[in-house]
Amino acid sequence: MRRGSAVVKRFSFVLNGKPVEVEVPPAYTLLETLRNVLHLTGTKDGCGDGDCGACTVLLDGRAVHSCLTLMAQVEGRSVTTVEGLLRDSSPDEVQSAYAESGAVQCGYCTPGLIMATKALLMSNPNPSVEEVKEALRGNLCRCTGYAKILEAVLRVRR
Amino acid sequence: MSSEEEILKRFAAIEQAREFYIIGKKVSRVDALDAVLGRPMYTGDLVTGDFLFVKAVRSPYAHALIKGIDISRALKQRGIEAVITHRDIPGENDAGSLIPDRPLLAVDKVRHYGEAVALVVGSGIETVEEAIRLVDVEYEPLPVVKDPFEAMKPDAPRIQNRDNIVTHFKIRKGNIEEGFSKADIIVENTYKTQFMDGLPLETEVAYAFPEKDGRITCISSMQNPFDVYNKVVKILGVGPEDVRVIQAATGGGFGPKSDETPIDIAAYACLAVKKTGKPAFAVFTREEATTVQSKRHAFTIRHKTGATRDGKLVAWKSELVADTGAYISKGHLVIARATFHCTGPYEVPHVWADGYCVLTNNTIAGSTRGFGAPQAHFAAELQMDALAKKLGIDPVEIRARNILRPGSLTATSQRIDDAGLEICFGKVVETARWHQKRREYEELNRTSSRIKKGIGIALLYHGNTLGPEGEDFATVHVRIEEDGSVVVQTGLTEYGTGALTSLVIIVAEILGIPASWVRMERPDTSAVTSSGPTVASRTTVIGGRAAADAATQLRGRLAEVAAGLLGCSPDELVFKDGVVSVGGDRRRGIGFRELVSEASRRGVELRVRGYYIAPPTRWDPETGQGAPYNQYTFGALVSEVEVDTETGLVVVKRMTAAYDAGRVINPLGLLAVIEGGSIQGLGHALTEEIIHENGVVVNPSLHGYIIPTASEAPEWIEPIAVESPGRIGAFGAKAMGEIPVVLPMASIANAVAHAIGVFIRETPLKPERVLKAIREAERKER
Ligand code: FES
Ligand code: FES
Repeated sequence: MRRGSAVVKRFSFVLNGKPVEVEVPPAYTLLETLRNVLHLTGTKDGCGDGDCGACTVLLDGRAVHSCLTLMAQVEGRSVTTVEGLLRDSSPDEVQSAYAESGAVQCGYCTPGLIMATKALLMSNPNPSVEEVKEALRGNLCRCTGYAKILEAVLRVRR
Repeated sequence: MSSEEEILKRFAAIEQAREFYIIGKKVSRVDALDAVLGRPMYTGDLVTGDFLFVKAVRSPYAHALIKGIDISRALKQRGIEAVITHRDIPGENDAGSLIPDRPLLAVDKVRHYGEAVALVVGSGIETVEEAIRLVDVEYEPLPVVKDPFEAMKPDAPRIQNRDNIVTHFKIRKGNIEEGFSKADIIVENTYKTQFMDGLPLETEVAYAFPEKDGRITCISSMQNPFDVYNKVVKILGVGPEDVRVIQAATGGGFGPKSDETPIDIAAYACLAVKKTGKPAFAVFTREEATTVQSKRHAFTIRHKTGATRDGKLVAWKSELVADTGAYISKGHLVIARATFHCTGPYEVPHVWADGYCVLTNNTIAGSTRGFGAPQAHFAAELQMDALAKKLGIDPVEIRARNILRPGSLTATSQRIDDAGLEICFGKVVETARWHQKRREYEELNRTSSRIKKGIGIALLYHGNTLGPEGEDFATVHVRIEEDGSVVVQTGLTEYGTGALTSLVIIVAEILGIPASWVRMERPDTSAVTSSGPTVASRTTVIGGRAAADAATQLRGRLAEVAAGLLGCSPDELVFKDGVVSVGGDRRRGIGFRELVSEASRRGVELRVRGYYIAPPTRWDPETGQGAPYNQYTFGALVSEVEVDTETGLVVVKRMTAAYDAGRVINPLGLLAVIEGGSIQGLGHALTEEIIHENGVVVNPSLHGYIIPTASEAPEWIEPIAVESPGRIGAFGAKAMGEIPVVLPMASIANAVAHAIGVFIRETPLKPERVLKAIREAERKER
């Protein structure tokens, strides 16, 4: 949530393809900036501690935990969130695959998992089951038991 | 035939039909798309504008007197608007979800680590966190009662102003001495299970704001909006119309979100609004959630079981002790369920069981998916394998000789009337190729020195819905809009399992329309009447009956209009594919939507309230004998594991699960709970453990409390649905939401015992523990 600190710093970066500037306290994380300043609430907070992956976003195309990413690390770089996956208002193939495979139960882990999947497929378009499991290790889901999530990812591999 | 008779006749026909229109067909979750797009749905996403932040000051002691609370330094901080202690609570200082034993804010004593003592309200989380450090609470530490056996001693310090033993629950069936005198062999063992956290991925969160008319609206994440609402009204000391509670999308439930903490978080936010007149937001950190969220009870179970030489059970004596922590929560009910199920799903002529729910200074244990059943089945199923081993027969064999079949009597002498268990048991044994695998693994283990393989089985029965745990009713409101779309609203909630989709399916089935014409509205305490709690896997079974009641009423009203229009009697009408026709002949039919607009034009009221209450259940509290539940779900699980004998690491390779769902209404939902529950149970079996040291939770984080990741999920879970219709559930449905979490601990532990040759009777089966068991077994062999 918003921090009361008076000192703020200006940061510029590219968010979902568009340049943005924000003024936030330097101790702010990317997750706080996204949710509380830019009101992009698709990225979730499940622990704030780097353990659950609900906050996963892409930083220059690589999956990072936004709760552990300070704004100074974001300066001048490119961030993609789950909201940025929409193309001409239609869902990305990974998003559709998750919905269609029944990989969504409570949905709280879903945006983070989708971003982790996206990052994996960008670097490795045809991962093995083991590689998928390894890539998603940092993303916890308490509801699905992962079977449908694996199914969704395998559905979109080349 | 009157329209009422038509309804009843059709309803009976639908209930008996094997061919359904929508029931049993795959209907996807309606809200999945919102979730994948990251649309705002959860409480924390809905917060806007200026608001205050509220957070609790928590006790660093597990047991201490409060000598004084000085809030003056905190109040002077810039940005702090209020500090609330028990003195500032306008209504009743009671947040116990069922039993009023737990203050929202501690008065003169804290009884567990992390208990809330005061609330700090201010702008900005950092300001509030700083001010929390400035609230001066003077504590005088008291001796900490760490475990229930200590608490049960007559001279133990009292946790509350009552005996530390909350409940002594009894089962007395037959004559236990006589039973044991008939036994050729007797097996006696002690089993221990750990504290666990249901751990919904979204922590407790509430956002409250004042409305113009002075009412306070609270949006929150929970299973039971009415429990929260009723408590908040009392805590604020206001009238019922002064508060409104709305459930936002809820990031997982699993029990904790039906229990104590959702009341706390909503009360925090609402008290802050009441005090300041401004919107307020409260959210638990993961550390807070893991500390104060209701846990799964830690159990110690002692079993003494007697059987004849040919493997027939003759006597079973049990003592179950559950550590419920510092406040009762649902502990008195959890011990009842565990004790009722303590012999597992087997027929035993003589049973003697004592179940104790005991207070300690540990953090609170309460509702968690399965509600005492995983612990009970773990102990019973390992006991069965121990008997088989002693008798030198296969685990499947001993089960086949003792399982509950139609006509069998349970430990409470309740007669079983369906064959669900037999069918599930037969299916898993066959599908998993039990006998072949058992032999293969034993051969392999003789030659493989490091990796050992094992296969284990466990069976369950699960008394359905609330039974002894409360009034088992539901209300469901259904209305048909003028455009023919149907809206379902209920106080039962969705938190991920797709349970409410079952209600949509049932309504669509009865009205003969596609499921996509039916939509659910969010639970809102000002729009619907209470529907009882969303717990005990009730939604499909009990809620489904209420939904069917509502849909049937609407169908009757529409049938009357249609019969007039089509010149037939109502009982000739078929509702299907969005058309109401005479005997299914579409040429003599009217579109559903057209019919609705005609009915509205005639002023027919198309808004109804459906209701269902399950028959009360009865048993004798002195002997536990009777019929505590209206029907039982059955299940069987085979697990296959690999154990690395050098590291003690257990890997679950495969699970074959058969569950008797009574009637599968929502196949995707069923699959979802089977897959999810199995992995949650796998976590319980292998890694999950809340560790208290002198009452202090030492691992309240997701790196200290390890839940399964995608890598731990087995390569394959084979789900098998069995349909052996139950007596009360909608269309014969049986409770399923909680069930799949019950057996993994038992089944995996039996598989590990098969692999390494020794039973480990304490969970979780973490590497150190497994390794120790292997080493001890080796020492004994030498
Ligand atoms: S919120 Fe970032 S990893 Fe959990
Ligand atoms: S769907 Fe609930 S945590 Fe993954």
